[in-house]
Amino acid sequence: MSLPSSSQAVFEAGPSTPSRKRSRWEPHEALHDDAEMNEPQPPLKRRSKSKGTSLSDPRSQAVTPEPRSQIRVVVERQRPRHSIYVPPRTHHPPLTPSRSVYSYERLNSIEEGSYGVVFRARDKETGDIVALKKLKLDDEKHGFPITALREVNALMVCQHENVVGIREVVVGETLTQVFIVMDFIEHDLKTLLTVMPAPFLQSEIKTLLKQLLSAVAFCHERWILHRDLKTSNLLMNNRGQIKVADFGLARRYGDPVGVGGLTQLVVTLWYRAPEILLGATTYSTAVDMWSVGCIFAELLLKEPLFQAKGEIEMLSMIFKLLGPPTTTTWPDYSLLPLANTINLPAPHPSQLRQRFPHISVAGIDLISRMLAYDPEDRISAEEALQHPYFRESPFPKHPDLFGSFPSVAAGEKRRKHPDSPHAPVRAADYKLLTEFDAP
Amino acid sequence: MSVPLYPLASLEQIEETPSLKDGIPYDLEEDLRAYGCKLIHQAGILLKQKQVAVATAQILFQRFWFVTSMKQFGIGDVGMGALYLASKLEECPIRMRDLINVYDLLLQQATHSSTSKLVSQSKHAVFKYTPMSYFGSTFYDLKDALVVAEMQILKRLGFHVNVVLPYGTLVNYLRVLGLTSKETVCSRAWGYLNDALQTPVYALYAVPTIVCAAILLATRHLGIPLPSTPPNCWWELFDADWEDVWSVCGHVMRLYRERDASDQTRLLSMVSKKGVRKWLDDHAVLN
Repeated sequence: MSLPSSSQAVFEAGPSTPSRKRSRWEPHEALHDDAEMNEPQPPLKRRSKSKGTSLSDPRSQAVTPEPRSQIRVVVERQRPRHSIYVPPRTHHPPLTPSRSVYSYERLNSIEEGSYGVVFRARDKETGDIVALKKLKLDDEKHGFPITALREVNALMVCQHENVVGIREVVVGETLTQVFIVMDFIEHDLKTLLTVMPAPFLQSEIKTLLKQLLSAVAFCHERWILHRDLKTSNLLMNNRGQIKVADFGLARRYGDPVGVGGLTQLVVTLWYRAPEILLGATTYSTAVDMWSVGCIFAELLLKEPLFQAKGEIEMLSMIFKLLGPPTTTTWPDYSLLPLANTINLPAPHPSQLRQRFPHISVAGIDLISRMLAYDPEDRISAEEALQHPYFRESPFPKHPDLFGSFPSVAAGEKRRKHPDSPHAPVRAADYKLLTEFDAP
Repeated sequence: MSVPLYPLASLEQIEETPSLKDGIPYDLEEDLRAYGCKLIHQAGILLKQKQVAVATAQILFQRFWFVTSMKQFGIGDVGMGALYLASKLEECPIRMRDLINVYDLLLQQATHSSTSKLVSQSKHAVFKYTPMSYFGSTFYDLKDALVVAEMQILKRLGFHVNVVLPYGTLVNYLRVLGLTSKETVCSRAWGYLNDALQTPVYALYAVPTIVCAAILLATRHLGIPLPSTPPNCWWELFDADWEDVWSVCGHVMRLYRERDASDQTRLLSMVSKKGVRKWLDDHAVLN
């Protein structure tokens, strides 16, 4: 929603021409658009100040002819300059029906989850390689499933460079065939962590974590909770960029949370925040931040932080690592529905330093604030981006300097395939490397 | 923070709507759109649904008729589908059976009042609702139609079902203009925004333009002067163009003109696509 303050909403209009009105319907030239979207308009008091000059006066007729060298400037000024909060009409997409799935040529299937199948496919028109996710719509009693709606909507709302891009939604012949078309990304972080010979460097972890945090901050700002952040849902391309994917459990949230509350059946166990484990139904953005903390730890350890088999074990692992919650670290603990059913272990201090002996003080501070017990106290994505950890040496590595890896999803050299009769030669080398690295 | 972009009809879609291509005149389409939205609104009230869901449904409904002809789908079914879908989008889902019953009640009521008006004024029969049978085929037919309508809305809008509602913007603009102390302006402008949901403007113009039109109508009606002579035009503060604001005002004001009872009866007979097709056949013979 646009929230223009008085100064931002005032735009400086160029001299008006008769064709100006109709031009709203025409696509603006790229040059003009870019200038318009990228540079925020200066907060102007110009209107009142420069009343005498003809250039800032939208209705003035007299325009002195400009020298030729300034023509570009004139072109930019001829159209009304909108405030960045009110894009011109042509920036809004037109109403367009879904295309047919037959616009794509199916290549190979990538994975099959509980929520549907993902295929790799090629756009017949442009040749682009994409990921097609088929939504499961069989025997739905309540029309189009609300979870699928949330997924599509969340992806459309959260268009960000570190969120997997949704291109469109296409349909098959019958009404039960619906596919989400997304950018194809070569790797997921989970597979990458298990096959790569050495853990990520500190500088690389900082880059990845910053990207993840900016994506999460972006979603939260648009009132979307992801609710299933984990390394296998973080995709990574060969240019050092990660993309948050799988919004199958995402939903919009409100402040305060609406009537009925939220379900506790969310987030993969290993990444699930303690308040959900203890039955809270009014959780919020902090649950995603707990997951981010677990992912941060996993990047450092090269294996998941909490590998519990059940909810009780999960809680005891958390208590063991961080020390049981106290009235200072989590004042509202006793109010949680399941708090009475849990026997807390004897108090002991947090073991984070012992678990991560090689990370800096700032790094320990960041991870402990992501894994803070009290959701109110847990660091937000926006705050985390400003954390000193990202501003101390070693600095975040530029994404272009990341190495590239063969993509399992694209069917490239499957390195880990014991049954394969002709294992690629490098796989053997690679095995040696991992064995060498193993403790 | 970047601005959310929402779909708006293209120039071609506005110049010749799918219904117009099928021979449905523009003013009839306008009436049917408005009536469909009224039904959504009434159903929303009876279902005690949140206004955000009702408004979202009406905007989706308006968008739908820029990509689909009323010869293909009825305004009743699509209205139900839109309200059902919007309730999910706004995280306040409703039961199919409740929705179907409410629509059935509303249509029976409308038929009753329009026929009793025509018969005679003195013999005003009391309306009595006859509910459909619980396992009857009427219910299952309507349920199928509802599911199809919901899916068709999604498919024909390309799943671009994000909607930006105007209310927050109105509050901000009223603050900027220093009008928040005048309660009559606020509630009146708010009312115009709600009435505008019965017109296609939310599928035609960006929210700031529509909000400016609501403020313009409210302040003009109450005789409150705002700077309106160039170069100081208040709507330019909000990036709206006069022509657009004026056009939105026109759309809204057309809702309030006097109408015949026969217009209402004609609309009622065209709630389903069958009625629309019959009307088209009848008028094809005449031409």
